[in-house]
Amino acid sequence: MSATDLPLPLIRSGIESVPTVPEGQAAPTGKDFTSDQEVRWCPGCGDYAVLKAVQGFLPDLGLRRENIVFVSGIGCSSRFPYYLETYGMHSIHGRAPSIATGIATSRDDLSVWVVTGDGDALSIGGNHLIHALRRNVNMTILLFNHRIYGLTKGQYSPTSETGKVTKSTPMGSLDYPFNPVSLALGAEATFVARTIDSDRKHLTSVLAAAAEHRGTSLVEIYQNCPIFNDGAFDAVKSPTTRDEAIIPLLHGQPIRFGAVGPDGLGSRGLIRDAVTGGVKIVDVGDAPDQVSADDVLVHDSHSPDATTAFAISRLTDAGRLHQAPIGIFRQVARPTYDDQARDQITQAAAGVAGSPSDRLEALIGGGDTWTVA
Amino acid sequence: MPTGTYRNITGNLALAYGLIAGSVQSGLKLFLGSYPITPASDILHELSKHKAFGVTTFQAEDEIAGIGAAIGASFSGSLGVTTTSGPGIALKSESIGLAVMTELPLLVVDVQRGGPSTGLPTKTEQADLLQAMFGRNGEAPVPIVAPRSPGDCFDTVLEAVRIAVTYRTPVMLLSDGYLANGSEPWRIPELSELPEIDPAFADSTNHGEGDGAEFWPYLRDEQTLARPWAIPGTPGLEHRIGGLEKGDGHGNISYDPANHDFMVRTRAAKVERIAESLPPLEVDDPGADEGNGAKVLVLGWGSTYGPIGAGVRRVRAAGYQVAQVHLRHLNPFPRDLGDVLKRYDKILIPEMNLGQLAMLVRARYLVDAVGYNHVRGLPLKAAELAEAIGNLVADAEGIEVDLTPHGALRDGSLASSATLDATSGGES
Repeated sequence: MSATDLPLPLIRSGIESVPTVPEGQAAPTGKDFTSDQEVRWCPGCGDYAVLKAVQGFLPDLGLRRENIVFVSGIGCSSRFPYYLETYGMHSIHGRAPSIATGIATSRDDLSVWVVTGDGDALSIGGNHLIHALRRNVNMTILLFNHRIYGLTKGQYSPTSETGKVTKSTPMGSLDYPFNPVSLALGAEATFVARTIDSDRKHLTSVLAAAAEHRGTSLVEIYQNCPIFNDGAFDAVKSPTTRDEAIIPLLHGQPIRFGAVGPDGLGSRGLIRDAVTGGVKIVDVGDAPDQVSADDVLVHDSHSPDATTAFAISRLTDAGRLHQAPIGIFRQVARPTYDDQARDQITQAAAGVAGSPSDRLEALIGGGDTWTVA
Repeated sequence: MPTGTYRNITGNLALAYGLIAGSVQSGLKLFLGSYPITPASDILHELSKHKAFGVTTFQAEDEIAGIGAAIGASFSGSLGVTTTSGPGIALKSESIGLAVMTELPLLVVDVQRGGPSTGLPTKTEQADLLQAMFGRNGEAPVPIVAPRSPGDCFDTVLEAVRIAVTYRTPVMLLSDGYLANGSEPWRIPELSELPEIDPAFADSTNHGEGDGAEFWPYLRDEQTLARPWAIPGTPGLEHRIGGLEKGDGHGNISYDPANHDFMVRTRAAKVERIAESLPPLEVDDPGADEGNGAKVLVLGWGSTYGPIGAGVRRVRAAGYQVAQVHLRHLNPFPRDLGDVLKRYDKILIPEMNLGQLAMLVRARYLVDAVGYNHVRGLPLKAAELAEAIGNLVADAEGIEVDLTPHGALRDGSLASSATLDATSGGES
């Protein structure tokens, strides 16, 4: 078997091929993206915040509403498409990335979104998620991570911490959890980010970058489930703890967090760890036991090598959450599966003469033939 | 042989060509989502060579993703197809249910092989009929068609496309390993003989007037009971579909008990409606027109057509009467099947399974059909089949049967036979 060098298509924006609202036509508002269906999540669910943010953000894309498709699987988050006045499919458990792959590959004029949860994406749908990521199909995946099964009323999920006591694990869960960001990076993802349901500004900025990215964008959204896992993300949400808990990632900026130091940045920072090859957290300053600000790692989400992004992702607590990097871990350009699939069709059709009917006639009439008179 | 231009063709090649023809005849882009599996992979290989027809072939990470992508493509306005064998169907079952619920056109090709489990991957069998018919949760009716010969794969897949697109439904096509890899002379059809297939995409609202005008995704065509197919990119028809039960008409989620009962019955009725579009059965009973019809009918489906025909010819060559009907449509059955069955005293159903069509026929028509069943991974043998038919003829007519050529004349059990010469010999 031989391999062939594929032509490299132009790297474009994620929504470049999607028709926009014609000039002169009234710009749509969040209301235009709100369907007439009653929202059925529990009071206080983080899903409401994300829905509001998405409804508010979609008009900013300037796309025609009919060219946006939301696909979901099964779970609380998967009711999302019903509440948006776009095309949508509430499919079956875990399979949304595969359905979205068919949509995105067959149509380049659609903006394709997948809404999924920690159980849907990482447990039953784990296979489809990793393969969508490695193929880099042009879609944006919003992974609502509650670290619990909500729709089935409170069993541990693939992101629940080990030892978690739930309805199905009265003596504590034995499963070691996935870190969705590490998983995505390991699956060759080209865009990986993490944000928080309650930080609308950050959430919106990440959504904008994800939509702009051509390829599969994975956005993990930390989300509180007030009924079955209340407070799981308090550390990164509470005003009293979040400065210490959130490690903010901004491309081109030194990774600093914690109480503000004399230079106006966080008093803690990340440096490379020569021993492990990973990264570690240090106190930043001029004292002998501190590390100079100049040595702090500058975040490079565009690095072709995902190693550092992976190392940063490992700073996320696997157990109860006290600390987590938040922001865009990785954002690199790589040809997408769907663009290349369409390019192959274009190439194959180039220079082929005749109508489809003529060519069908030639096809089925080919080979050795004989006539019976 | 009918006049025309012929070529040799295998079942899998004819299937691939038929899918391309379905795409050309409907104007829909073909999207194949598939995972390699014996003996179906050749369809994937063949279609991947024909991208110039606008064909997309997606080799998925698993069977479920193959059908998932095909459903996504169908939702987006392509002709979504997935090809597999029995184990793959088992994995795709939940997704087929989704296509039943969302009422999207979809082709599911099952090139059957020996089962259960991994079974006999390179051997032939017909034991997926009941899986195709019932292998889903809930009341999830799926139309089923089956080709009878390698060349017939071409026509049968076009018929499957017609049904899927017209009735907005997944359609199961049951080929098998014998057809897939077997080859026969095939009369190349004229394009004018192929059906025109109209996707008839929805392009406007269908409920209410003026400012209150809405698009109702489950408002049905009165004749076919099909729902409108509105594809993304169509302004004003934005809608959501999914696996949850839909309210009649508006298509919003509904837990209403009466609505669920209605929708279950409506989905079943829609599939039954397909029968109205089917031609009358071809009954091969040479003496029937002269009032000298057979008492025994041999009913078959799929790749047993060849061996059954050969067995029937042996019995006729010996001077006995036997009728043959071969089904292309297994769900719904043709409307006249019940009447045809009632014309015969004995019905023999040869199958490469333990009696799956026989079970369906007995349940549906309350006839005492007898099975002839072998599951050896090999095609049925004409000589053995002739024996079984002969025994049934003996039983039905109260005679001794001698299957050597012209045996009926020699043993005097039938003083005269109308069919001594015309159909003798010729089994292959």
